Amino acid sequence: MTRVVVDPLTRIEGHLRVSTEVNANGEITDAQSSGMLFRGMERILVNRDPRDASRFTQRVCGICPTAQGMASVNALDDLYEVADQIPKDALVTRNIIQSINTMASHATHIYVLWGPDLVNPAYRDLLATVEGTGSVVWKELLSRFAPISYKLNGESITPGTAYINAIKEKKNLEEAMAVIGGKMPHQMATVTGGVTYRPNLADIGTLTGHYYKLMDFVNSSTLGVNAQTWLDNTYRASSPQKAVNFLLEHLQNLVDKSLSSNDFSFSAGWGDLELLSAFGSELIGEKTLGLPASLKIDKTGGYAEDANIGFLTYGAFYDVENGDGYDPVGFGQSAFQQAAFINSSFEKKAFDHKYVTEETSHGFYSSDDALHPYDGVTEPLTTASEITYEGGSDSRYSWIKAPRYNGTPCEVGPISRLIAMEEPLTMGMMQVFADNGYSAVNSFTRMVAKAQELLILAEQFLKWVTVDLDPNGKYFVNPDLDNAKDSKGIGLWEAPRGALGHWVKAGSDLKITNYQMVVPTTWNCSPRDANGVAGPLEQALIGTKISAAENALGVDNTNPTGILHTARSFDPCIACAVHTIDLTDKARTSRTFNIV
Amino acid sequence: MEKSENRDFFSMDRRTFLKVVGAIGASAFLGIHSSKITKALELSKTKIIWIHGAECTGCSSSLLNGGNPDLSQAIDKLSVDLAFHETLLAQQGIFVDGSPASTSELNSEILLDEAIEEGNYILVVEGSIANGPDGSGKYCMYGERTFKEIFEKAATNATAIMAVGMCAAYGGVNSADSDIKDITDFRGVAYLNEDSSKGMLSILGIDKPVINIAGCPAHPDWVLLTLAAVILGKIDINNLDAVLDTYGRPVVFFPTDNSMHDNCPRRGYYDRGILDDDLSGEGCLLKVGCKGPYTRSDCGLRRWNGSVSMCTQAGSPCISCCEPGFPDVASPFYEMIEDKPLAYGMNVGTMSTIGVGVAAAGVAAHAARRIVFDKYAEDRKRKEEE
Repeated sequence: MTRVVVDPLTRIEGHLRVSTEVNANGEITDAQSSGMLFRGMERILVNRDPRDASRFTQRVCGICPTAQGMASVNALDDLYEVADQIPKDALVTRNIIQSINTMASHATHIYVLWGPDLVNPAYRDLLATVEGTGSVVWKELLSRFAPISYKLNGESITPGTAYINAIKEKKNLEEAMAVIGGKMPHQMATVTGGVTYRPNLADIGTLTGHYYKLMDFVNSSTLGVNAQTWLDNTYRASSPQKAVNFLLEHLQNLVDKSLSSNDFSFSAGWGDLELLSAFGSELIGEKTLGLPASLKIDKTGGYAEDANIGFLTYGAFYDVENGDGYDPVGFGQSAFQQAAFINSSFEKKAFDHKYVTEETSHGFYSSDDALHPYDGVTEPLTTASEITYEGGSDSRYSWIKAPRYNGTPCEVGPISRLIAMEEPLTMGMMQVFADNGYSAVNSFTRMVAKAQELLILAEQFLKWVTVDLDPNGKYFVNPDLDNAKDSKGIGLWEAPRGALGHWVKAGSDLKITNYQMVVPTTWNCSPRDANGVAGPLEQALIGTKISAAENALGVDNTNPTGILHTARSFDPCIACAVHTIDLTDKARTSRTFNIV
Repeated sequence: MEKSENRDFFSMDRRTFLKVVGAIGASAFLGIHSSKITKALELSKTKIIWIHGAECTGCSSSLLNGGNPDLSQAIDKLSVDLAFHETLLAQQGIFVDGSPASTSELNSEILLDEAIEEGNYILVVEGSIANGPDGSGKYCMYGERTFKEIFEKAATNATAIMAVGMCAAYGGVNSADSDIKDITDFRGVAYLNEDSSKGMLSILGIDKPVINIAGCPAHPDWVLLTLAAVILGKIDINNLDAVLDTYGRPVVFFPTDNSMHDNCPRRGYYDRGILDDDLSGEGCLLKVGCKGPYTRSDCGLRRWNGSVSMCTQAGSPCISCCEPGFPDVASPFYEMIEDKPLAYGMNVGTMSTIGVGVAAAGVAAHAARRIVFDKYAEDRKRKEEE
């Protein structure tokens, strides 16, 4: 047995350690995911003016600050009892800025954080074994996805065009954000009661312009077919089967044209998504399209058949058809992306936040038992020698708590949201993978779902901007600050990387007495719980292969692409995840904790 | 244009600087100096090692939003070798049975150690440095070591250090007042809030030139232009006092004699006494908590994200995210400073006792502001005398 550790897992937000045991066949037999930072933001919020929370909590994460700000204002709207009065145009504006944040985060994740693994030297070596096509595909991958400052065998590689253009696209989207939010990261517009800025007609024009810039990028890099055509045949397909058939026929046409000419360039119709779909997936590329090789990313990051896993989303984007106001708890039922819990058999159940719990049996806390946070107190270890990451699965090994939904660890993120939406392409692909003995959710389907969500949101963004936004509308109602007295609030939302919840309580002095955040990476990168059940990332690693393309070139523990693809496919954000940690000293044990 | 080539960018007075760099943009600035850069390029590249402590990656994200120049242009034009950056580079830490595996082309820990070993680099720090618990630094670790150890090693061999963003410069939100502040014990590179005797460098006994780029996040222009000035020799890193204020910030971006309020896009409303009582209006935001009059930054001129907008333009009160005591100096963010007992290290009661009322509020703000600015002037004078 060999111990293979990736620490730090770079190209994510923050510091994550993934520790694995690998057997002689190159199969991962055990895994621990460790958050490496303790920051204590929730305790910093105690005793502050609740309104400050939507500024403070954005500082939890510079990649998805808007989502933190949104979960926070939802909780504050509830706290100040103003949620049912938030003007419709403020809700539209909040939808607009969240969709921008999600699109920018997805583009950054796909191309800047996850994409560079496609040019790992292992794939150069793998593709070199495929005469003709192999070297052409490798050059294609390198010319699109190579990151900044990249070197192979001492030779500097020019950054890829898709990589560089994605950074420009992220910049374009954040300029759109600044139109409303003043600046990005850490936009300023989300406040309890509505938004601070009233977009004018010129802004609508500017935002529309940013949409067309985004579409220029999509249509010149991401997709080889027009984005509208793509969505008509996938997102708007009449059945999941039809959506998958469209994808497969489209890819087959490309392959038929290109295999003889050996041209896999964009001008031959190969967008980044087509290239990834054909050469990233063993099932689609090799088994369906008859390609001579693939990176077999669909064999990484999947779950075992009997896995104890669920998929969770709280819902995001207010239903703005219904005029002013929203229900902080129930809005997910009518939201654009609906709330749901989906079990391991992919049965969809209604979401109820009361089933959300957290515990810390494998976190760095001095509490002996896993306690329900409703009654729980947690005390971080303050003795340096007790903070060690070497103890294995039975030990305390992370600053991340273990959230569970009715006892089940849950994957959150784009694929969970698209399952809840019953998005045809996602559902169809998952079915095809499951029918062929693959895990329906794996690193490949996770990434395709993310790209698909970006495209869906782009279209929705344009609708909110051009159809729903009324420059003459109302954007703010002044909350009665006295309503915070001994009040509490719940803020459910979706960050780009998954379900995000804030829970706030205020005391008789109108100041925060307790603030809890349960964030996406806490779900995805959770350690084991008191029953020894592993978190989603840990489960997605165990049973998969350590090195490239199912160890196609032999076991290489020094280049563990299996860990890299899988862990990065969850888009971890550790600064977020470790903020769930709080220290409660003895003097404060009388404080009541909300269900988190 | 030609004239400006001969001017030392960082010793310019603010007005000239803004004309030359603020108005025409940093890419034009780089264009003006391109011949010199080309010369420098023939000799060697300037190596940058960028490390992350306790942070949110917002400053790196902000850096990617740089437009004049954008990051890849800057790397190209300034001939920068971005030798290490956790979020952007291909490598990651890989350990097999406890030993670092592979080479610097795949393993970020080997890459980092080799780059530090070679020396001759500018160290950029994003995020504050955990000193807790009990000086161990174990509240922030990666690559099988504490970030405190990584910082110590990297700082020791650095030519100069740039602390980017509030966390790295002053502790930022990590060091905000709370009952766990002393346990986590986060430090800025050279400061803890306004105190230059409590930075991590003091704890470690390391003496290096440090430039603080304030802001939460730091504006990409502030980062890239300062970097450009260092690389071009426009800043003498051995004589930083000439260009930095009393808190280590470049005066050109964080002017000592001038506040964000002076160039606020809503300034006209203030002058006419139109002070909003609610958010989402068009007037001056003073009464809904704006801390612009107490905040030294050129946000009002430079603006953000390709000069699209800025906080007050978008209707939000300034939260003073460039001041060393951020966030506590400005919190509660949505209350007028006159309603706070203590602000910017001073008793507000002594700053002004004038009550509410449209005109009075403005006067009060000015009274308070004068005192804050006088305090800065005194601090600077004292520093100069030392």
